[in-house]
Amino acid sequence: MAAKEEEICFKKETVSKLLSSSFKEDKTKLSGDATQLMREMLRVFVQEAALRSLKQAESEDCNQVEIEHFEKILPQLLLDF
Amino acid sequence: MSVDKEEVDQRLKAAVHYTVGRLCQRIGEEHRREFSRQTVAAIAETTFRECDTFAKDLEAFARHAKRSTVSAEDVKLLARRSTALSIHIQNKSEELAQEQRESRKKSSGKRKSRDTEEEESKE
Repeated sequence: MAAKEEEICFKKETVSKLLSSSFKEDKTKLSGDATQLMREMLRVFVQEAALRSLKQAESEDCNQVEIEHFEKILPQLLLDF
Repeated sequence: MSVDKEEVDQRLKAAVHYTVGRLCQRIGEEHRREFSRQTVAAIAETTFRECDTFAKDLEAFARHAKRSTVSAEDVKLLARRSTALSIHIQNKSEELAQEQRESRKKSSGKRKSRDTEEEESKE
């Protein structure tokens, strides 16, 4: 049961490559701890995006979460991160 | 050169999309709702672009502290805008530090206390 509830998260390599590719200077590096924390940060970001969209869909009585639901919650989401 | 970078970008985007899809599916199942494919794609794209902003902020924070390596402290600073998120990231950071201490201890003694709650109540 516990194995099924295993948390879905971004891969370490994905996060570190993603961030490293956006650094302006080549010598900027990412520590292991920072990578782990950024994985969590991105997971929370996606979870918030999904949950807020879902709540929006719920309040409009829709069974499927559509892009307009996400559009409605997007401005506040970006302000919170 | 630039073609190479584009390909790497595409792959990273695909990786992000994959994880976002899985997270959305899990959350949808928990609430008996479904995410349209467009929504998943939009969340993935937003995450991908947000990452760029995050990376530039982190780099600037590290530079401001006269470091060239982004540390856990920089990530904590990144999470400052929302109190709940900031606390969550702090706790996660302590959890990680605790785990590292434990794995170091394992080689000498075998004291395992996995209760993170105990750790939190000490503060």
